[in-house]
Amino acid sequence: MEISDSLSFFLTLPLFGMVLSLLIPRGVQRIYAIFASLLFLALTVYEASGILFAGSSELAARLSVEHQLLWLPQLGSRLSLKLDSVSAWFVVLNALTAVIAFSTKGAWYRKNPKLFTSLGFFLLFGLNAAFLSLDLVVFYLAYESVFIPMIFMVGVWGERQKATAVFRFFLMSFLGSILMLVSLFFLLSKQVKSGAGVSSHLSDLVALSSGLEGAEAKLVFLGFFLAFAIKVPLVPFHSWLKDVYNLAPFPATIWMSAILSKLGVYGVIRFVEPLFPQVLGFFQGGLLFLAAVSVIYAALLAYRANHPKELLAYSSISHLGFVMLGVFTLKAQGISSAILLSVGHTLVSALLFFLLSKVEEKKEGLDLLSVHGLSRRYPVLFVALFVAVLASVSLPGTLNFAGEFLVLLNAYPVSAFCTILAGFGAVLGAAYMLKFYQQMGFGTPSSGTSEQVTRGDDLGGFELVLVFVLILFVFYFGFQTSVFLKGN
Amino acid sequence: MMADLEMLRPWIFLASGILLTLLISVIRTESKRPAQISALLTVLGTAIFSFKSPPSEAVFLFSGALEVSSLSLFALGGMSVLAAMFILGTGHYLTREKIHISDYYHLLLILVLGGSVLVASRNLLLSFIALEVMSLPAYTLVGFRRNDSRSNEAALKYFILGGAMGAVFLLGSSFIFGATGTLDLSAVFTESKGGTSLLLQLGHLLVVLAFLFKVAAAPLHFWKPDVYEGAPTPVTGIMATIITSASFLGLIRLIHMIDFSSPGTVGYLELMKSALRVAAIASLVVGSSVMITQRSLKRMLAYSSITHTGYLLLGVLGAFDEKVGITSVLVYLLGYCVMSTGAFVLLTLAKAPADTGTELIDLTGLIKRSPFLTFLWTVFFFSMAGMPFTVGFFTKYSVFMASLGGGETVLVILAAICTVVGAYAYLRAIALMTMRDAAPAAGDWEFSPGSQIVAIVAAGFVLFLGIIPNAMIQYLKGIPLIH
Repeated sequence: MEISDSLSFFLTLPLFGMVLSLLIPRGVQRIYAIFASLLFLALTVYEASGILFAGSSELAARLSVEHQLLWLPQLGSRLSLKLDSVSAWFVVLNALTAVIAFSTKGAWYRKNPKLFTSLGFFLLFGLNAAFLSLDLVVFYLAYESVFIPMIFMVGVWGERQKATAVFRFFLMSFLGSILMLVSLFFLLSKQVKSGAGVSSHLSDLVALSSGLEGAEAKLVFLGFFLAFAIKVPLVPFHSWLKDVYNLAPFPATIWMSAILSKLGVYGVIRFVEPLFPQVLGFFQGGLLFLAAVSVIYAALLAYRANHPKELLAYSSISHLGFVMLGVFTLKAQGISSAILLSVGHTLVSALLFFLLSKVEEKKEGLDLLSVHGLSRRYPVLFVALFVAVLASVSLPGTLNFAGEFLVLLNAYPVSAFCTILAGFGAVLGAAYMLKFYQQMGFGTPSSGTSEQVTRGDDLGGFELVLVFVLILFVFYFGFQTSVFLKGN
Repeated sequence: MMADLEMLRPWIFLASGILLTLLISVIRTESKRPAQISALLTVLGTAIFSFKSPPSEAVFLFSGALEVSSLSLFALGGMSVLAAMFILGTGHYLTREKIHISDYYHLLLILVLGGSVLVASRNLLLSFIALEVMSLPAYTLVGFRRNDSRSNEAALKYFILGGAMGAVFLLGSSFIFGATGTLDLSAVFTESKGGTSLLLQLGHLLVVLAFLFKVAAAPLHFWKPDVYEGAPTPVTGIMATIITSASFLGLIRLIHMIDFSSPGTVGYLELMKSALRVAAIASLVVGSSVMITQRSLKRMLAYSSITHTGYLLLGVLGAFDEKVGITSVLVYLLGYCVMSTGAFVLLTLAKAPADTGTELIDLTGLIKRSPFLTFLWTVFFFSMAGMPFTVGFFTKYSVFMASLGGGETVLVILAAICTVVGAYAYLRAIALMTMRDAAPAAGDWEFSPGSQIVAIVAAGFVLFLGIIPNAMIQYLKGIPLIH
């Protein structure tokens, strides 16, 4: 398959979509957004499929393309985009998440829909730029710019008390990213001093960072690591997450849990690993422990959570703990399984939040806590939720099972203790998800809503197709794990 | 001699324009238009003259006291453009506040003249004169809302403290003269044979202190919030941009005339650096932490500009060893002036009751009342916070890089943390505009085409320079500090 040597459409099309959304009338914003994001997804898959499904690693390596454009010559920054077997997955997931998020219905399509759609496309742009760029300054710009649409989405369409949540989210993320920026500047200033030309390209900085030693290397590493640890988040840095997930409108929650969290995962894989291999090796034990603690602690928090959105938020942290466990094995196999699990987590958490948004849509104004008896009233939606819950607790045959299994398998030789610790998290995961499922699905339907079930209330049409396709992917890739592991 | 006059053309044009504007304002007292147009044409002409033919080499006039170089002409041109933006964008404010108009314009022009000479001066005596020529109109302008007690208070405070600091400057100069027998900056250290007597060091520190007062670096910042709040909003904007830029360039010129390569100055270099370090840390911490407690928008912007002073001092510190330092200060000043001009021009649109001034609460729910105004405010606030795709990111980029190059790692980490604290304040303002419904007490915002245009141009520059800063950085790199 021929791949064009220009990847710039990944960036230009979302921007074009953003501008277009300002010109489209309010009434058709949702249709436009879904249609445009589907189109973009199709293009992305078309472009990435050659890399994703290439039979061998050599072919994949040959197909991975880098596209360069000098952007800021004085600062040594280039628009250096690279699509390879790592970034291709995240780019596809990004486009898919946009489709799911735009497909939700709610206040955001009534109150200022133009702003909402354009923010969504800006998010798509920023994330794509972050996932594709090999230049660290450009990566930072993209990484940081993702906050802007997020802040507004939560702030403008979120529920009450949102301001505090937004501030905490923004300040913690900003603190992390600005320390990363300082680390990056530190590397660049070393470069200036050494007399070499300034270049913030990853390969040039790798050469430089290997020259760092001792405390200096560790501090610079910490700057990068903190940013990504807050973004994922790993456990001591998770305090911003609950309120934001809770109060954000559903599309924003979907975006955050499905793809923004992957930005942290991706950052560690793409930048921290090549930049600081020795320091990572030095800290490996602690990092693995941190990941395992994230799994357990977040699972316990999820079990205690009363609100379904809160529960899913914590479950998200728990699953990402598994992902990070795989990443911190620092082995190619472990990282491949972490990517595999990331894809699974994106699909399943987006699906769960999407289904939850459907529940909320039907019972507007009601607290989700009081939702009972979904099985009787919305059978189709409920079956879909059932499957999603099973995938989330890693039923064998799903992508998540394959991912968690492979992660644990790869982590065991590195640290048996952390692996066993994290393994308990999987058990806890089953406990809280079944609690969630039982609470929402059974019992008498909540009062205040009519017992009458009309056909239109349940999942149907486009939404049903979307949910069905997502579930299909979860199972298809669950059996086709070789797609992820071909390189090894 | 004729050739010398040729070099001075922009300044001569400006001075003639001042006289013409003064004349017009005396003759045509009943209307503000003629004086406004005359002032506008003067600054635009000055800007054209100064940008048109930058000299390839610096020329020293009047026995080396005045330097006509790409830096001094850039400063003059830049200040003229800023003045033009304020003249164009704030006419409606003067009408609304019933400010006695005709004097306003020629005082503003005199301020520009003083500021530009301050940048060009290589002689302490000329620097002092320029400093006073810049300051005296400022004292007057601050008190222009004659019936407002806070405006009077601000003017008095500014005048007394400014006068005292002028005296400190003179004292420092006299010490320097006593130690070296010259006031020519380039000769100060050569005259003293490379050595640094205590008298000379003290004199130098006092002069630096006077400049730090002018740029309101903490702990010499205490006058700033009161003066900024009491002054008419356009004057606040002029102080935040033109006076800050002129003083900073004056300061950096003063520091860089010292030849730190001679062995006798090592201890002195450290002393000077520590003084600047203290000022930078104090400005960053005080500015960003007090900013988040403010309820008045104008006071918030005042503390914001104290924080920006701290960042600029980072650039100054980075400039000691590395050539990149001066570029970073110029980049920061340019970006800061563009966004401040936009913010203060927008602020003049607030129809606040005279007794309270514009409060943050007036911003609530602005997105419903005026989405466009909200967009402009958001651009400026994001830029001040240093978010990507605004010029504010690259200004921070350049000073952080310069400062790290100078070995100030701890200071940069501290500055980064202060950035987060400051970002909270800007985000809070943005949240009020977009995420809240309008409070019942929220004041109205008026519409004025002139200021709208100026704000759009400023926002356009903020975004343009934030996405494609190449030309700006390339241009500013070509401006050497010392010849």
